[in-house]
Amino acid sequence: MSQDPLHLLCIEPHFPGRLGAVADWLVRRRGYRCRFYCNGAEAQEHWPPSVGNGLDLIFFNVGGVAREQTVPWTRQLERGLCYAYGCWEVLEARRPRPVDVVLARSAGLGSSLFASVHLPGVPVVNFFDYFIHPHANDLADEAGLDTPPAYFQWRRASNAMDLLDLENIALAWTPTEWQRRLFPAEYRDGFVVLYDGVNTRRFERRPGSPRTVAGRAIPAETRIVSFVARSLDRLRGFERFVDLANRLLSARADVLCIVVGDPIVQRGLDVQFYRQDYPAHIQGQTPWVDPGRVWFLGAVQQEVVAEVLVASDLHVYPSRPYPISRSLLEAMSAGCTVLAWDTDPVREFLVQDQTGLLVKPNNLDAAEQQALAVLTDPVAYYPLGQAAAARVREQYAQDITLSALATHLGRLVERGG
Amino acid sequence: MHILFTHRAFPAQFGQVALELSKRYGWRCSFLIDHISRCPEPTEEMVSRLNLYQIPLSAAFRAQKSPPWAQSFGRYLEVCQAGWEALRALPDLSPDLVVGHAGLAPTLFLPELVDCPIVNYCEYYFAPHRRDLTYRIDLPPAEPAPFFPRCINAATLASLVACDAGYAPMHWQRRAFPQRFWPKIEVHFDGIDTTLYRPQRTSLVVNGQTIPEEIRVVTFVARGLESMRGFDLFMRVAKRICRERSDVLFVIAGDEETYYGWDQLHTGQLSFKQWVLSQGDYDVSRFVFLGHIEPARLAQVLGRSDLHIYLSVPFVVSWSLLNALASGCVVLGSQVDPVREVVEPGRTGLMEPLYDIDRLAETSLGVLANPGQYRPLGQAARKWVEEKYSLDVCIPELKDYFERVGQLPPS
Repeated sequence: MSQDPLHLLCIEPHFPGRLGAVADWLVRRRGYRCRFYCNGAEAQEHWPPSVGNGLDLIFFNVGGVAREQTVPWTRQLERGLCYAYGCWEVLEARRPRPVDVVLARSAGLGSSLFASVHLPGVPVVNFFDYFIHPHANDLADEAGLDTPPAYFQWRRASNAMDLLDLENIALAWTPTEWQRRLFPAEYRDGFVVLYDGVNTRRFERRPGSPRTVAGRAIPAETRIVSFVARSLDRLRGFERFVDLANRLLSARADVLCIVVGDPIVQRGLDVQFYRQDYPAHIQGQTPWVDPGRVWFLGAVQQEVVAEVLVASDLHVYPSRPYPISRSLLEAMSAGCTVLAWDTDPVREFLVQDQTGLLVKPNNLDAAEQQALAVLTDPVAYYPLGQAAAARVREQYAQDITLSALATHLGRLVERGG
Repeated sequence: MHILFTHRAFPAQFGQVALELSKRYGWRCSFLIDHISRCPEPTEEMVSRLNLYQIPLSAAFRAQKSPPWAQSFGRYLEVCQAGWEALRALPDLSPDLVVGHAGLAPTLFLPELVDCPIVNYCEYYFAPHRRDLTYRIDLPPAEPAPFFPRCINAATLASLVACDAGYAPMHWQRRAFPQRFWPKIEVHFDGIDTTLYRPQRTSLVVNGQTIPEEIRVVTFVARGLESMRGFDLFMRVAKRICRERSDVLFVIAGDEETYYGWDQLHTGQLSFKQWVLSQGDYDVSRFVFLGHIEPARLAQVLGRSDLHIYLSVPFVVSWSLLNALASGCVVLGSQVDPVREVVEPGRTGLMEPLYDIDRLAETSLGVLANPGQYRPLGQAARKWVEEKYSLDVCIPELKDYFERVGQLPPS
């Protein structure tokens, strides 16, 4: 369906966050104009190319409890409301016009909740990440008997902003079916399930090309085992990766492990290690058998992530049940042979022996056996990576998913919110 | 059957219900509450027959009377934590069912402690516009008005999502909730004491003097004399009536408080009642302000009423409206949906648009000119309440409902 380019107003606490790439695509490929309201931004090298070329970045400040470094969990919603209010304040001051549609993500903080105060009648689309269940998923499955009651109380209270957003928007958007099912039954039918897309051009494997990662050449005979996460935490199973990697390093002298991610735990869901250096903690318990064959690249630009993934012989994804990380789809797009811990969110994307390899969580022996089989004869497993890449190209490429999003946005605007 | 009722206040909506369940069916009823309220006042029988446990809220919590609206949910969570602590200290309580007020009662964390279904009393869901707090567009806008309704439902939503079932007292209140939740919410009214509130031509003594028989009495009752209950509109109607008739006395019951909304933001230091009186050049000798009164006194007042005026915005209907109908009063109500649910114009009462002072005054004068002609409306109202809203009708229905939801597997 063709339509005129829309005037988009994006709201997310931090830029580029999750919506930055979406807005960038809509601006570059569909000619949208976008004003992106945020409270903070990553370093400029992480910004998408359309900033200043159709995508205008506008910052809002926050007051009250949102200015404090940490707040009691009971004040989490109040903090989010301060974000929502701060955004409204700048909207009110700048009075952006025209605006056809608002696209927002609360990310645990308020975002678009008060946008409709300033823009009544403009449809609001919210991206929803994760509805927390008190005793299931992420790390809650493993909470021991000594877990403080407040942990479960916090989990029961933590979805308040999502519930308010759901009641104040025109369209709810979530990237996977598993994430949709986490939400209360009363809301599920209202969701659009649409992955926000992989830049497949960036993650494209060129067989036979020399492998280089972060400026370092990789010998052809080296077997690369990769692990990529936003932060190296328990949620993404970093300690599981360490256990497996140590076995592989012991078993084969040609293995090189490349680890991408911030060592500081950034997700509050891991209350034990939040804002701590989790790899340092793990290192104290489980030292690397050969530290010289483990490269820690830290948090790197997407171009470096792409280098890692297209060079990888085996990509390990031992995440606990949690929304799949962008890197899993990127690894698939890069044609990696992916070995993942078998969970519901993963199963939505990987099919055993078709597009990847699944092992039962807590079965390290099985994981080791499977990993060694891949490293012994990587070529035999290429078809899995090729099938995975084809699946991403056909279903999850930005050009596919964001075209569909543009159609949804266009319909909403036509309908008038 | 053992029900644990929980609410910030006692007896609120549950005290009478629990007492009736206890007396009629021998059910055990316990309460987890924060404070004893005056709306309505608990009876001695309630206090002696029902087991009350207090939510141990901190002194700092209690000291903060008017927290900023953005802190509402955080304070609700503190109540939930304190409620959880209280119940943990009562391991032998073991209820078969928990019934709590959605958004006020500390039910959110109770699934961690109890192994029984949790039922929400779904009293109200605030709307962003054209209802409740934002309906009085004739008054100066309050700063929180655009924001408050978009976030104040957080506690209600969180507890509604987490509960096993819910019930609302009126169809309109159920419909106030998002439609997606309607299948989860049944409608069961809690019941009017039709023995206390009954047609009775009582003599009424105010300020030590009996109101003479020839004086027409117009009544207005609200928990607080505030804008959402249309106190200012009532006074404007009363002023018109005063102009036309010298034989009318206005008897007004209710606290000099604003319980809902933000009247104080534009009245300054004055209460809403004082603010209204300061604007209108009223002949105060024609008005009797009773303040807060107990149910027995209210029954007397309503028994002497020739016309009961109820001018609420679209919001939860007051018990006083049903009490007036049960008392056989001729009721003139505002033409809004929640009132329309209990008053059928021309059959069980009268209705005029909320802001139409001319028509309200005209209709009132019509009634006061010939009360006998309108008495059938009051008689029909009484019959309607007996058949639909009396304790004898509502309590057995609630018992059936509680038994039914008590069988649900706790989520």
